[in-house]
Amino acid sequence: MKILYSWLKDFIDLDLTPEELAQQFTELGIEVASIEKKGADFEGVNVAQIIHIEDHPNSDHLHLVDLDLGEGKTQRVVCGAPNVAVGQKVPLARVGARLGKMVLTPAKIRGVASEGMICSSDELGLTNTRARGILVLDENIPLGTDVRSLYGKADALFELEITSNRPDLLSHLGVARELSAKLNLPVKMPVIQDVKGEGECLKIDVRDSAACPRYSGRLIRGVKNAPSAEFIQERLAAMGLNPKNALVDITNYVMFELGQPMHAFDRNEIAGDTIVVRRAQKDEKFTLLDGKELTLDENALMIGDEQKATALAGIMGGQNSGIQENTTDIFIESAYFDAPLTNKTSKKYNVTSDSAQRFERGADIGMAVFALQRATDLFLQSCGGQASVISDQYPTPYANPVVRFTPQQINHILGTEIEAEKLKEIFARLALHFDASGPEWTFQAPTHRRDLNHRWDLAEEAARFAGFDCIPTGASRAFVGFCDNPKGVDLLELFAEQLAGLGFFECKNIDFLGEKELQNFGFNPKNAVKIKNAMAKGWDFLRPTLLPALLKNVEFNTRRGNNDLALFETTRTFSLTKGFPTETYTIAGVLCGQLTAKPFFKDPAQKPDFFFLKGVMTQLLQGFESVSFAPCKEAPVYMHPKICMDILSNGKKIGVFGAVHPLTLKTSGIKTAEVWAFEFGIKQLEKSFSAQSFKPAQPAAQFPPSLRDLSVVLDKAVSYAQVQEVLQKTALPVQLHFDLIDLYEGEHVAQGKKSITFTLAFSAPDRTLKDHETDAAFQTLVQALHNSLGAELR
Amino acid sequence: MTLQEFQTLCSALEQEYTAKISAAADLAAVEELRVAALGRKGALTELLKNLKDFSIEEKKTAGPLGNTLKAALTAALETKTADLAAKALNEELNRVDLDLTLPARPVAQGRRHPLSIAQKRMTDILSKLGFTWAEGPWVEDEKHNFDMLNIPKHHPARDAQDTFFAETGSPLSLVLRTHTSNVQSRFMEKHQPPIRIMAPGRVFRNDSLDATHSPVFHQIEGLYVDKNVSMADLKRDLTAFMKGLLGDKTEIRFRPSFFPFTEPSAEVDVKCVFCGGKGCNICKGTGWIEMLGSGVVNPQVLKNCGIDPEVYSGYAFGMGVERLAMMMMNINDIRTFYENDLRILNQF
Repeated sequence: MKILYSWLKDFIDLDLTPEELAQQFTELGIEVASIEKKGADFEGVNVAQIIHIEDHPNSDHLHLVDLDLGEGKTQRVVCGAPNVAVGQKVPLARVGARLGKMVLTPAKIRGVASEGMICSSDELGLTNTRARGILVLDENIPLGTDVRSLYGKADALFELEITSNRPDLLSHLGVARELSAKLNLPVKMPVIQDVKGEGECLKIDVRDSAACPRYSGRLIRGVKNAPSAEFIQERLAAMGLNPKNALVDITNYVMFELGQPMHAFDRNEIAGDTIVVRRAQKDEKFTLLDGKELTLDENALMIGDEQKATALAGIMGGQNSGIQENTTDIFIESAYFDAPLTNKTSKKYNVTSDSAQRFERGADIGMAVFALQRATDLFLQSCGGQASVISDQYPTPYANPVVRFTPQQINHILGTEIEAEKLKEIFARLALHFDASGPEWTFQAPTHRRDLNHRWDLAEEAARFAGFDCIPTGASRAFVGFCDNPKGVDLLELFAEQLAGLGFFECKNIDFLGEKELQNFGFNPKNAVKIKNAMAKGWDFLRPTLLPALLKNVEFNTRRGNNDLALFETTRTFSLTKGFPTETYTIAGVLCGQLTAKPFFKDPAQKPDFFFLKGVMTQLLQGFESVSFAPCKEAPVYMHPKICMDILSNGKKIGVFGAVHPLTLKTSGIKTAEVWAFEFGIKQLEKSFSAQSFKPAQPAAQFPPSLRDLSVVLDKAVSYAQVQEVLQKTALPVQLHFDLIDLYEGEHVAQGKKSITFTLAFSAPDRTLKDHETDAAFQTLVQALHNSLGAELR
Repeated sequence: MTLQEFQTLCSALEQEYTAKISAAADLAAVEELRVAALGRKGALTELLKNLKDFSIEEKKTAGPLGNTLKAALTAALETKTADLAAKALNEELNRVDLDLTLPARPVAQGRRHPLSIAQKRMTDILSKLGFTWAEGPWVEDEKHNFDMLNIPKHHPARDAQDTFFAETGSPLSLVLRTHTSNVQSRFMEKHQPPIRIMAPGRVFRNDSLDATHSPVFHQIEGLYVDKNVSMADLKRDLTAFMKGLLGDKTEIRFRPSFFPFTEPSAEVDVKCVFCGGKGCNICKGTGWIEMLGSGVVNPQVLKNCGIDPEVYSGYAFGMGVERLAMMMMNINDIRTFYENDLRILNQF
């Protein structure tokens, strides 16, 4: 909402600088988005020319400046501006001049008397840039010119952010009322001639009084449309409107002044003599003033005559009844339309207006007739004509609820100790009716404050007008209670910390992706959460996988020369389960280039491979006994068909890791040949995760193990996992730990065979093993490998 | 040889070799002296051969004399050997010529995302202030995101949220939550006071991506409901929170505002940490920086969640993680957080 200071002063006598007024707005909770200062607020400043400059004897940055004032007079002043130069024409304020509120007095600056000052643009109140340096004027301006004549009358335009609960502040009167309560100054209502009018008005037939609880209007016949008065044009221009003609401008003017939206119809476009307020018919067509054609449903509220609609109520008039240059008879509407209905209609048909913005927040139902009178006054002054009597359909006068409360309750809500007298003063200024004679007070707000309905609302008013600084910092109070974080939160945090420790960088990505990406990653769009009103193509779905975004991060970074990447993200992924959205805590990562913990300058580069990734996954998941890895039987389409493992929890697949499919890299725009990736959901892991329980500790071995190397030859097709299983599952009377130390295929073993070598460590918890015990265990293993896998000792 | 002569020879031998040992220049010289003194044909061995000529009584004196001499020379040799070894080691150590100013060998270099770091700091402080972590759905029904929070249908306050709507098979109209406040309605619906929760997480607004807006961003919600909770409690806890975040000298102020789910509502500003309140570019000359929105929980919200506003009262606050992180980390474009440029990520 734009508020023009000079207009505001029509309603309240303010003696504040624009900055001071802005401070008042801030304290009231009205955010000031900007202040645009207009014109000059100073006196006694004249144009002078610099004729001589010398250094100040006692300062290294001040100067003594001689100026020519014209008519042979000169003046010496002290000046510290860095941009001062001989020949400049500048604004000179001499002793006695007024700059805003400051009146200039003689000054002694470092021992030198100065009888005036050369002003900067800020000092003249023309700008608020806090830039240093004097204002240099055009060299053609005659000496002695009153600088004020170069700028218009002082004014300021405030852009205020009005919150949606305070539609009453969407007018100059409303803002003046608010300041009146804050500053304890009276509000001056505009003086209007109470034109009773002559002649019949149109009849008003309100067919839905819930949607339109008040409808008033009057005819003015024989008007002569013309440009509106200069002050109206100027003020509307300040509001950001192009002045059109008096009939249109005045309705707007009254809206910005009093907050009451009005509409003027060309009487001669209204058939018959009844204004009908009704709901639209289904599929009724209507063309707005701006030419937009609407097809309406039965909810829209229409103004019209008995045959046709002439306006979409409270939002915009129709093309068929607008004011023309040659309009002679007008009907002025001043009504109240239901707020939610106006909002709904405005949104549904995507039509908005200053009027709609006021009605949808809630206009002042009590203002309709006063505003009509005010507009009549202005119409008659500008355009002449003859006003009819007023028709006012207002069957059930609106009253705000009566709030009953005690001053203690107000202080209780705020934690304050505002005195009862102070509260009385505040509420009395705001109320239509206020009674504080008993222990329980009653308060009823005027019609323009529909937001004051219970004592909490009044507590806010008390704090606002007493100043929010009256709220103390409360004494501390104990809160005893404990509850763990949600498991998923802790688990994601645990993984994230570990990954960062392993050299991965955390990313955060926007949660949207497109249908094409879904398909590229093998997801059926039918199972993804679609956004109805997506803001861009390619952002239509909530992502069911984090990998597309991480691959984009790879693409983005490699394009910028960051080729060595280890990235991860932890967040929720989304899918539909039987049509309902499911959110899953998910963790994913990608890896490419060299290891991001770069080698020392003289060491060879280290590249991650599948087994590095497997190491990362092992490190992350080794605490979860339910977790195992198995080669994918069928890898996801975006992964390498042969280099991809399933992550299983109790045999149930929770994710994968491996190499990204080269085609996926290509469609992601990635030139790097190899990218490793992993992704898994943690829902299954949450079950076995607890912040309270730990795996019981095993004592560290007290006796040294006996070591043996085991080297066997077996079929190439036998996997390491099969060998490992035999070693793990073969029953032994001693404990076994084994490490793979070599894997060999080539000339020293037969075709189709491979050799595999382990270091075996045999031990017992209570003794050092004897050789024969170790030998026996070794033989048992050799036998088992032979029996299960056909392995031969090498 | 008389006993006396023997004694004289002993002390002469000791003097001679002690001096020689102490003067030995290196380990080889020490070894030579050991052989010369204590070796099979050494001076001491030669001297001790005379023992056999002594009487038993004389031997009682001369024997220990010889032993003492042997021990003294052995000790002198050992000391000298250790001294020379230490000296040699010291020389060797001092011969090392390593440029210690070469760059560090990089160890694992991963980092958390700046938003995670900022959020963690905030949740850590809130956790110390007794707030429990609560979560809620990101795809939320309109009832919990709006209606229960006193943001009615067909009200401009609801329009102001620029909501994304989800297309699902659910009979409810679902939105991407526009704020973390849905956790308020979710939590209060299920729990009676005392309630003291925080709800960090992602929120969604249909805002185009530019330097100060992102369709996805992060908030942290705080909610405290108990008997006798007032604005003064809010001020105390937020002061403590802001001191934790920005330092012990931090001051806050309340400014009146409007949020549908709080009444009274307050914007919270902190005294500009960059200029100490004098006014600078960051605080736009006001001396204060807008931090978060807050207020007393609207009694209608409590009622909607089944909590009696005549018995209980509460406060709530919500803040943007990006906003705070941008200020604290000197980041001036919100898109920086979502580009994930390694050269930015590795700074935190």
